[in-house]
Amino acid sequence: MATEAAPMDEKAKRMRDLLSSFYTPDPSVSTSVSSISTSFDNINGPSFDADQYMDLMIKKSNLDVLLQRHVQMAAEIKNLDTDLQMLVYENYNKFISATDTIKRMKSNIFGMEGNMDQLLHKIMSVQSRSDGVNTSLFEKREHIEKLHRTRNLLRKVQFIYDLPARLQKCIKSEAYGDAVRFYTGAMPILKVYGDTSFKDCRRASEEAIEIIIKNLQTKLFSDSESIQARAEAAVLLKQLDVPVDSLKDKLLEKLEQSLDGLQINPEEASKLAEHNVSSKDEESNNQGPAKIHKDAVRGFSEAMRAYREIFPDSEERLFKLARALTTMHFENMALCIKKRISAADFLGIFRIIWEDVVLMDEVLPEASLSDLSAEAAQVALKQFVARTFSHLRQDISDTLLKFDINQKEVVDGEVLKVVLEASGKAILQGTADIFQEFRQLLDENTGIFVKMNDLLIGWIQKGFQDFFRSLESHFLVLSGKTSSPNEAEGLLEGKPSEKIHAGLILVLAQLSVVIEQKVIPRIAEEITASFSGGNSQTFIPGELCRVFHAASEKLLQHYIDTRTQKISNVLRKRFKTPNWVKHKEPREVHMYVDMLLQQLEEVGKEVKQILPQGTFRKHKRSDSNGSNTTTSSRSTTLHSDKMARSNSQRARSQLFETHLAKLFKQKVEIFTKVEFTQESVVTTTVKLCLKSLQEYVRLQTFNRSGFQQIQLDIQFLKAPLKETVEDEAAIDFLLDEVIVAASERCLDVTPLEPPILDKLIQAKLAKSKEHNNNTASS
Amino acid sequence: MQGGSSGIGYGLKYQARCISDVKADTDYTSFLTGTLSLKEENEVHLLRLTSGGSELICEGLFSHPNEIWDLSSCPFDQRIFSTVFSTGESFGAAIWQIPELYGQLNSPQLERVASLDAHVGKINCVLWWPSGRCDKLISMDEQNIFLWSLDSSNKSAEVISKDSAGMLHSLSGGAWDPHDVNAVAATGESSVQFWDLRTMKKVNSIERAHVRGVDYNPKREHILITAEDESGIHVWDLRKAKTPVQELPGHTHWTWAVKCNPEYDGLILTCYVLAWKAERMI
Repeated sequence: MATEAAPMDEKAKRMRDLLSSFYTPDPSVSTSVSSISTSFDNINGPSFDADQYMDLMIKKSNLDVLLQRHVQMAAEIKNLDTDLQMLVYENYNKFISATDTIKRMKSNIFGMEGNMDQLLHKIMSVQSRSDGVNTSLFEKREHIEKLHRTRNLLRKVQFIYDLPARLQKCIKSEAYGDAVRFYTGAMPILKVYGDTSFKDCRRASEEAIEIIIKNLQTKLFSDSESIQARAEAAVLLKQLDVPVDSLKDKLLEKLEQSLDGLQINPEEASKLAEHNVSSKDEESNNQGPAKIHKDAVRGFSEAMRAYREIFPDSEERLFKLARALTTMHFENMALCIKKRISAADFLGIFRIIWEDVVLMDEVLPEASLSDLSAEAAQVALKQFVARTFSHLRQDISDTLLKFDINQKEVVDGEVLKVVLEASGKAILQGTADIFQEFRQLLDENTGIFVKMNDLLIGWIQKGFQDFFRSLESHFLVLSGKTSSPNEAEGLLEGKPSEKIHAGLILVLAQLSVVIEQKVIPRIAEEITASFSGGNSQTFIPGELCRVFHAASEKLLQHYIDTRTQKISNVLRKRFKTPNWVKHKEPREVHMYVDMLLQQLEEVGKEVKQILPQGTFRKHKRSDSNGSNTTTSSRSTTLHSDKMARSNSQRARSQLFETHLAKLFKQKVEIFTKVEFTQESVVTTTVKLCLKSLQEYVRLQTFNRSGFQQIQLDIQFLKAPLKETVEDEAAIDFLLDEVIVAASERCLDVTPLEPPILDKLIQAKLAKSKEHNNNTASS
Repeated sequence: MQGGSSGIGYGLKYQARCISDVKADTDYTSFLTGTLSLKEENEVHLLRLTSGGSELICEGLFSHPNEIWDLSSCPFDQRIFSTVFSTGESFGAAIWQIPELYGQLNSPQLERVASLDAHVGKINCVLWWPSGRCDKLISMDEQNIFLWSLDSSNKSAEVISKDSAGMLHSLSGGAWDPHDVNAVAATGESSVQFWDLRTMKKVNSIERAHVRGVDYNPKREHILITAEDESGIHVWDLRKAKTPVQELPGHTHWTWAVKCNPEYDGLILTCYVLAWKAERMI
């Protein structure tokens, strides 16, 4: 059979499947093989269709295969027949043995009935006996139970009567724990019967408990007791329903008050820092304030530790306290920073605070004090960096303005130079100092600082960037070029631009150049040397250089503008006041020429102090900006000679010649780019003034004498102007233009005769010489 | 006159100090300009931009008795304009009308509608009512502002009211606010002053020295542009007259005049000596 054959061959397996399908009529229970092969051509499947199978067979196979298949099938059928026969026989066998067994059982059961009846009878008699015993013992048992209850009650009464004595004993032996346990045990009874039977007892025990409470409280408040004992006392008090919270509040309030003592006073802070350093170095015996402070903080943290254990539920409050102390520290630090402290002092204070924080953090790690203080420290450090820069800026502007006040009294001398040097030094020294200080900060290795190095570098770089940007705008504000945007600089707001000394503007311009060329490269070097790294490069020297370059040009232009504006005023007065149509014959060179020259001389003096001397160059054509050229000029010396030689008869044709010549003139550029040289600035100023002069002339109408006066003045100006200016051609040209303009606006052009012109100029020169001598001698 | 490299040019025989667009001419783009010559005979030129916009042609040439310092065209009648002129010693201002038959005459004479002869000092400019048909005029000399009523049919002008700015201010020019017809800005020695025509009183001022030209922005109220001696053009907001809103550097020397483009907001024209330049306002 299939069960015996362990290694099942194909045939046995098929056999078993067939048999099992035979015994289990439900096809769904049949084994997997049969269920899978349900198709009609599977001979073993339930849906096998013999006709179809035959058709398929005949169609598919040839005769040999069919025959083979026939033989195979015949053998299989035979096999199946024998197997079936065997099965039938075995089943029959089993059926016979089952009939035998049933027969044997029938005979065994037959004698059991009588035994059962006997058993029932015996059980009945046992039950009736036990009932009898029960009824006889019932009365006694009840009595015993009653007695037992009474005894318990009596014991309780006894306990309550003994309570005061017991409590007293406990007080004596300081076993407060037991006492409290007894008392709380007796409490329910006392509550119920306290007013009637146990009045005395209750009073006595309450008194005792009051003593206990008092003792416990003193124990709680006394600092000498161990923390354990105090904590126990607190727990006992709580069990006695004493309002512990109020006690806790009282204690914490005391702690809070002690906070004030822990403050780092801004005034003493620097002292404290010093002492801190010195006490470390010298181990000095006299306790410095630093030491005192340290002890105080230690005490504070101890107290906190104690309270934490005593009142586990007061953590929040303690956290709050610790945080308050930390924030207070940092607030004080912010005050210190406002007061301008050195990096060393800053670090000193910082260290103290950090130590405090570490102490407290040990006690209350959950308060996340270190996080809090790290944040606060970042803020403080950032503030410190910002402050340092603003102080530097303040210093620089102070240096600039300090000298400016003296400036007005001393026009001559080297004041501008001194200012320039002083402020230049202030910037260089200031930045060097800042680097020194920041290096200290970087070297510091107290906990937080190490983490913040990157940030710090970022701030420093950004600080420099912002510092220079604000310095630039500050320069512009100082120069009156722009009005200050914020109210903080309201001092300068009211100052109209005319009141700002022109020299200061020049100093600022040159200072910008110094910053661009010297200071920024140096700082860039320093930063790459010791402050590089960090995440982003926020200090961009190239950009700053550009900014200051632009600023210096702007300021220089502004200087020239303010200067020419002043001269323009002189000219305006000169041309507005007289009635040119009714001008009298010129007797001397007009005095406005002196004023003009004096102004120019002032410019020259200022410029000499501040700006470098340029290499002497004749007029340049290459670096001018083409849009501002005027297309006229002429070869000059020749022309002026002609002018001088001309007489009244030839004047008209002369002027016509001038016009004609203008058309063919060599191109002279009037408005060239201003450079940072003495000559360039003076030249530009002179050019602008002459141009203004020309414009004023063009607005008037002259009679003959008026024209002659202009001619005389211009002739006189020629020599001194050429001395001061590098671009003679342009000056000649501009002076000619004035004459031409005057002649155009003249009703009767008759130039002065050259001898008279000469004579008048000589007279003027002699007079001014005499004047100079007089002032020199006096 | 020189324009930009690709500009359209028109040559005058003599120098000129003023040009005015003819607002009343709605068919063409026309300009009036007058020469400034002390000794020669002065002319007023009427120019017209050809329809292609490629050429300026002379539509009319009229002789004017004196050199012309200021000229402005009437906003409602294209044939009427005003000039401020000088004889060398004295100044005068007059309203002129272009004769109707000028095409047939060789050198047509201008008809003088009225002369504004109440001034004592040097007259600087004449301003027309900013827009629309209104016969009000303002003339300014160095110390006084006159408000005139013009009767062109009767050929007369009457002073309605006047006020004196005082000796110190020496007014030099001005502009009539197109947004508020009662307000006039006048440039002075040390400030730009604002006058209320109803009371003829000064109401406001911008403290700024050496302002040469001023113009209101026709598109935006309260915006004013000034041109100054020291190569500066400034944009102001009259509500915050302390500091300029914007500074436009660029001119190397005096800027004489400034005008806003009437069509395109933000486009302004400035004049530097005698070369015209259009600049884009940023």
